[in-house]
Amino acid sequence: MAERPRLKVPKEAKKGEVIEIKTLISHAMESGLRKDDSGTLVPRKIINRFTCEFNGKAVFACDLEPGMAANPYFQFTVKVEESGTFRFSWTDDDGTVVTADEAITVT
Amino acid sequence: MRLARVVSQTRLARICWRAGGPVALAALGLVLGLAPPGNAEKSGAAPLALDADASARPWVRYHGWPTRDSAQFNSLAALASPPAPAGPRKLDRPLTGDAAKGRVLVADRTRGGSCLACHVMGPAGNADLPGNVGPDLSEIGKAGRDDAWLFNYVYDARAYNPDTLMPPWGTNGIFNEAEIGDIVAFLKTLTTPAQYHDVLDDPAKRPTPVEKRDNLDSMVNPGMWAVEDKAPALWALPGPNGPACATCHRQPAQAFEAWAAAMPKWEPRLDKVLGVEEFVTRHAKATTGHVWLMQSEENTALAVYLRFLANGGTIDVDTQSAPAKAAYGRGEALSTRKVGQLNFACVDCHSPQRGANKWIRGQWLAQMRGQLDHFPTWRTSQQAIWDIRKRFQWCQVAIWANELPPHAKEYGDLELYLTAQSNGLKLNVPGIRH
Repeated sequence: MAERPRLKVPKEAKKGEVIEIKTLISHAMESGLRKDDSGTLVPRKIINRFTCEFNGKAVFACDLEPGMAANPYFQFTVKVEESGTFRFSWTDDDGTVVTADEAITVT
Repeated sequence: MRLARVVSQTRLARICWRAGGPVALAALGLVLGLAPPGNAEKSGAAPLALDADASARPWVRYHGWPTRDSAQFNSLAALASPPAPAGPRKLDRPLTGDAAKGRVLVADRTRGGSCLACHVMGPAGNADLPGNVGPDLSEIGKAGRDDAWLFNYVYDARAYNPDTLMPPWGTNGIFNEAEIGDIVAFLKTLTTPAQYHDVLDDPAKRPTPVEKRDNLDSMVNPGMWAVEDKAPALWALPGPNGPACATCHRQPAQAFEAWAAAMPKWEPRLDKVLGVEEFVTRHAKATTGHVWLMQSEENTALAVYLRFLANGGTIDVDTQSAPAKAAYGRGEALSTRKVGQLNFACVDCHSPQRGANKWIRGQWLAQMRGQLDHFPTWRTSQQAIWDIRKRFQWCQVAIWANELPPHAKEYGDLELYLTAQSNGLKLNVPGIRH
């Protein structure tokens, strides 16, 4: 499974501000189309879904396909109205889910 | 009181290293109820395991690299290449080459990059992105050269110019005589200046690569993952002997803010130059008991970390002490040794007086100064961190020479010489390069 994800979320923001979030998780994103030296297919193993919730409410989500490069990186913007916690989650083909939380203070 | 205790610990440590190394030290520390030394970096010569190679023995080339064995040609450790001819050969019959075949051969990337790697060859060549290390051959067909001259120049240009950069295509067996005849036939058809489709095709106008990304941002440079995750975990990991790196080096950021900027360094106990990577292998073995061979993931992570800690420091390797001066001289000599089937020396590609700051096909040849300030570096084309020793190895395999194991003393001398070319520059590790 992947190593710890990397997050960039501002610690503070003004009410109504549009903030930028960056996330990156290291993962081989094995497409399932590649063959090893003996000619056998390397089984597919990718992160197939990424979500971001703020105080339990979905703010960003997407499905990933085998064409995605290794170490998927997302950069997106969110408008924040209240203090709270972002929860990020990455779902692997093997069923494991990596989560990470990041708090923000909105004034 | 505090100072006295530090001094006595330091003395004790020295005595114990003589007496039998870390186990003895740990035992004595336990008996006397002392805290383990936390600033070991100030206690004189660092313990090193001296008894074995620092990289895998026997050395086996990396998986996925070309498997060609080039033992019949020079390496940095042995001389084996065929000698240069005394002079041009006489042709005993007229050349009957096929220009159409020659046109394919000059662009054959499986033959050491072939002619277009270094020469612009007019509108022909079946390839774009020519290089410009050698002269423009677009009008060689009307230069008044006869068949014998052209044949000999391609076969082995040393017959006319002992200082040439060009591989001895015939002498070293990259093209056979019939193929060289085909190439000569093609050269004779070149009579019009090159026409470029766009600016990228013209090596005189192609923009030089500039690396401007923030290499210390781990979102941008995966090389930073070694610094942020892997190395700190290894630092705290106790080895088979008991201690971890952190046992003796509690505050690495302060302790190592300058250390790596003065590496590599002559090591009298081993009679060779040690870089950061080999030092890590031997020191970790002697103290913690960890076996972190050169080119292991652990070794590379710690090498990146230790050099990262010295970032911003001015590179200042010793070239003045007698043994360092001697090693520098040997490194300089090695940098001019022609190696491999393609018969290149380091300086052929990386000295500004020769090939540096020019193009080999679409690849920019960098000069020596400004290399060691960013190694180990993240290689985007490899998706891996490469230290300078691995880069040396690849340089050699790429010019059809056999590489040496990473711990080879020749690489130590070369690394010292190459690093000294960057003396005065500031460390900025890990870099990002193609």
